[in-house]
Amino acid sequence: MSHGMKIFDSSGTETFSTTDSTWTILGVYTSNANTSTTHTGVPVMPTRIVTRTMVDQITGDDEAYVHTYSLSGSTLTTTAPDASNTIKTIFTVFGK
Amino acid sequence: MAHGLLVKNDDGDVLIDSDFTHYHFLGKYTHSSVTQVPDMTGGYHASTGGIGGNSPDQNKGMENMPSKGEIYIYSVPVNGANPPICFIKPTSTGSSAPYAGIVLTKQSGSNWEIRVFQSTVTSASPVLYCFAPLNQISTSTSSTHGLKTFNSSGVATFDSRFKPLRAVGGGEITSPGLAHTGSSGSSWNVSLSVNASPVSTSFSTQSSASDLIYYCPSLAHACQKYEYEQADSGWYSWKRFSWHRSDIWWCFYRSCFRIASTSSFEANYGVFARGHFYRHEAEESTAFGSLLGFLFGGAIFGALILAISASTWNNANVEGGDYLPYANSYRNTSGNSFIISKASYYD
Repeated sequence: MSHGMKIFDSSGTETFSTTDSTWTILGVYTSNANTSTTHTGVPVMPTRIVTRTMVDQITGDDEAYVHTYSLSGSTLTTTAPDASNTIKTIFTVFGK
Repeated sequence: MAHGLLVKNDDGDVLIDSDFTHYHFLGKYTHSSVTQVPDMTGGYHASTGGIGGNSPDQNKGMENMPSKGEIYIYSVPVNGANPPICFIKPTSTGSSAPYAGIVLTKQSGSNWEIRVFQSTVTSASPVLYCFAPLNQISTSTSSTHGLKTFNSSGVATFDSRFKPLRAVGGGEITSPGLAHTGSSGSSWNVSLSVNASPVSTSFSTQSSASDLIYYCPSLAHACQKYEYEQADSGWYSWKRFSWHRSDIWWCFYRSCFRIASTSSFEANYGVFARGHFYRHEAEESTAFGSLLGFLFGGAIFGALILAISASTWNNANVEGGDYLPYANSYRNTSGNSFIISKASYYD
């Protein structure tokens, strides 16, 4: 590394550097089961990804729909594909 | 940013932005228990051999059904309403490695229960590397070295003493639609093993595949079934006979993933649950009038599948005819974001 920054712990092990890549949390948004929700105020970064986590179960079942989504500007639009069998979904928006 | 710290790498990617929170290493977790979904199986009139000389008695159990994967259960202590993000350190990597994915995330008291499904049973077990924002990490550190940032409210957003998440790759991957393609069986022989081609996507080449960990929760699932019925009647050995057998086999598949190489990430399915039900009626008599009334095919099979509408595995009511607890289709195969990191950063 000819320029940049390295961060070390007290034993001299590198914990982070500007040669790394990471994903910063821009926001965590929850869409409840069977409900379509529009989340606003999502921060913007040049590159963003959205991960979805299915949380809990629908009536003890492993079979369910996950919310679909679209991210445009500062708006995350999430849609429940089914009115009674769409699982609670946590959206984590990452940026870098 | 009016004040604070913004660090970018030479690709222009944001590494540290003091306005935003970052994931930090929460810990490394091994499973507390392992389980499998019990088979759903049953039938009526298990043995009718000899009736008519051709009444089929074979394969009334789980013969020819593909093996199930296993489910590892973890308990991850983390404060707050949001679950940790958990990377899987797989039991092995490569083109023959099992697939694994998180199939359940559920809050249980102050812990989060994480269930990892692995497509095949192995002696080794996957390990979870979990991350959370600083405000959800309750451990402390006495280290005085490093870099710590705060947002404009004075809340810590980055602290190098807690090993921030370092990514070496990532992107988006879709899962296959059907888990099994082609014929699903012949006669009383079911064929529902996973034979879909894995979906592959690449990431920047790393030095060692076995050091890689990945975050990619399972979203997709599929259910596929095979049905078969047959009937015969007539005279055999001086007796009038009639028999009718109807069967339904099914597999429920969950999507899961593997590190296929130092630069390749793959998605496919594993058999999560499976079932087989049948009904077999047979009778023989020397008198015409005493035979069963099912000589006209379809009646029994119709009754068997009549109530196949249950949507839940746990609530499946076999007695009520819920023989197929899942919809015969696939879901949630749209793009799934994934992140690749290295275990050695945190070991």
